[in-house]
Amino acid sequence: MLITFLSHQSKSFWRSRNKGGSIAAQIILGFFMLYFFVVALGIGFGMAYFLPEIFPDQNVIKSFNGIILYYFALDFIMRLQLQELPTMSVVPYLHLKIKRSQIISFLNVKALFSAFNLWPFFLFLPFIFIRITGAYGIFVALMYIVSIFSIAVFNNYCVLYLKRKTITNVLYTGIGLLIIAGFVALEYYRVISIMAASDHVFKAIVAYPYLGFAFALAAFLMFKINSHFLEKNLYIEELSSKQEKKVSTDYAFLNRFGKVGELAALELKLILRHKRSRSSVILGFFFLLYGFFFYKTPAINGDKFGQMMFGAIFMTGISIIIYGQFMFAWQSSHFDGLLSAKINFKDFIKAKFLLFTIGSTIITVLASFYGFLSPKLLLLQLAAYLYNIGFGTVIVLYLATLNYKRLDINKAASFNYQGTSATQFLLMIPYALTPILLYVPFGIMNIPYWGLMAVALFGLIMLFLRGFWVNFITAKFEKQRYKIAEGFRE
Amino acid sequence: MILEIKNLKKVYGDKTVVNIEHLKIGKGETVGLVGNNGAGKTTFFRMLLDLIRPSEGEVLSKDENVMKNDSWKNYTASFLDEGFLIDYLTPEEYFVFIGSLHGLSAADVSAYLSRYGEFFNGEILNSGKYIRDFSKGNQNKVGIAAALMQTPEILILDEPFANLDPTTQIRLKKLLKEQTGNMTTFISSHDLNHVTDVCNRIILLEKGQVIKDFQTDDNTLKELENYFSV
Repeated sequence: MLITFLSHQSKSFWRSRNKGGSIAAQIILGFFMLYFFVVALGIGFGMAYFLPEIFPDQNVIKSFNGIILYYFALDFIMRLQLQELPTMSVVPYLHLKIKRSQIISFLNVKALFSAFNLWPFFLFLPFIFIRITGAYGIFVALMYIVSIFSIAVFNNYCVLYLKRKTITNVLYTGIGLLIIAGFVALEYYRVISIMAASDHVFKAIVAYPYLGFAFALAAFLMFKINSHFLEKNLYIEELSSKQEKKVSTDYAFLNRFGKVGELAALELKLILRHKRSRSSVILGFFFLLYGFFFYKTPAINGDKFGQMMFGAIFMTGISIIIYGQFMFAWQSSHFDGLLSAKINFKDFIKAKFLLFTIGSTIITVLASFYGFLSPKLLLLQLAAYLYNIGFGTVIVLYLATLNYKRLDINKAASFNYQGTSATQFLLMIPYALTPILLYVPFGIMNIPYWGLMAVALFGLIMLFLRGFWVNFITAKFEKQRYKIAEGFRE
Repeated sequence: MILEIKNLKKVYGDKTVVNIEHLKIGKGETVGLVGNNGAGKTTFFRMLLDLIRPSEGEVLSKDENVMKNDSWKNYTASFLDEGFLIDYLTPEEYFVFIGSLHGLSAADVSAYLSRYGEFFNGEILNSGKYIRDFSKGNQNKVGIAAALMQTPEILILDEPFANLDPTTQIRLKKLLKEQTGNMTTFISSHDLNHVTDVCNRIILLEKGQVIKDFQTDDNTLKELENYFSV
């Protein structure tokens, strides 16, 4: 029976609605996946070399032992936010002549199909084979693998159990990340050391390899607790992760914008009340860290804004890019309703502009902490911000009128590429290239601040021309609306 | 007696959705469940099928609590809505899968399905489509046919006539009437004509409670129309 279930699952994957639709998107996504695995593998193999660099005053193996528990703490928090409960997939089987225990073992097996269970292998196995085997022999290495595998399994079922039992929300994830950050700080100031604790644990495994089975036992117990819970509570309405009580909300600050504000509020609710759009927003906050990759000290000191421009545009405009790439499609399930309702299309488009402006403003304010690196970056980000709200919004909305792909917002969030098409990947090209091209001549003439000024001025002019752009997009939207609606109905 | 409901209650927040004190369903009865939206019909069905945990009380199928034991699944078939279908399979794959649960071979299944050519109106089998690509009416047909294929002792259908074209509605009525005898059938419907035609017992629900429970006769339709015309 398990085999049948799994074959159904693979069918559901390969036959998913948007499968054939956009081969280009599939290929690019395939590359992305491959890229991440290669990166993980690279880190895994590189560990032997860069661990001594990061922790120069201690033994490599000690450093390796030290990071394992940290990794799994982070893993736990990330799972709490991202790992899906494999629940809905059993709905069609519950009423059939299938034993409860079979359905539960299916749920348990399915839960293992998660990228989170693959990462540890890519990250830790290479080091174990390269260094641990050499230092302590094959048996100890084997017990390392058993331990790491067991902790991953433990995390896996523990998170599922917690998600099924309690309300999980973004807040908890945030708190969890803060706690980890706290431990990192304590570590740094040498108050408490998780690294030392982690090292002790794995030293113990080196000394008494059989201790590794303790992890296996813990994992098995967690598995059993989870199965037992499922056994007792195999009801769909109870199994999916618990939700807070829903209340009606009113966004007072949007009221001043009249009809446009109402539409924006409607869309804000759409964003906040669906998992997929919500995780896009969270992703936007994560991208705030992007600056650390782009804002390199030599570039800052040399006023090389051209190099940093992409990072700044991407960060301050992330809400526009991420949310805008599926624009209109977010509303595909009720698009007919919107079209037939008494909504002025101009207001509809204006609401989108408003929403983008608010989102981009919030992110830009948050990103101003890079000012601590160098106040110059504030200028750069201001220019990027003006470009984003002035012209970036126009690009995104124009391309949105060419997007006919339906998106089922209720479907799972992570690894769901429904509604994705080549357009989304192409979007980034004009979006990122325009400001860089604007800047380049000034960069070559070595008057970088004039370049920033040009980008900012361009954005500002476009912002003043917003009335024109609204009319332009509205006209385009009116022409395209039947095609869009038809695509969304599929 | 094949089904017994004892003090069954389902409460959401402070709203009681289903509240049935005692109900006995005999073998071979065809029971029609009627009531307006929100009367608790679907919730009741879901509790019969152990898909929702009752707040109180129990459902006994052949004297066994459906929550405690899986054996009712051996003789109960149901189709409530599209969520019961595995929609990324072709109809054939789905039928074979359901058949395999009841020990039917692929050949048995296709022999069974050949009798349904008329019911399917040539639109379901060999159509080269997944279930999700069918219209709602055709999805309904797949679900109903799959339920009947299990030759159940208890059959539960939620609004089987909805979304079906008139011809198919009449065919379905014929099918349901033919099946009686050993099979206990539970149907909910908003179509009073159909239920009075097919069922020999009508249960009227209002706000989760049984308001009326009677055998159908010539006056039943009138009586129901009077009740609903308020």
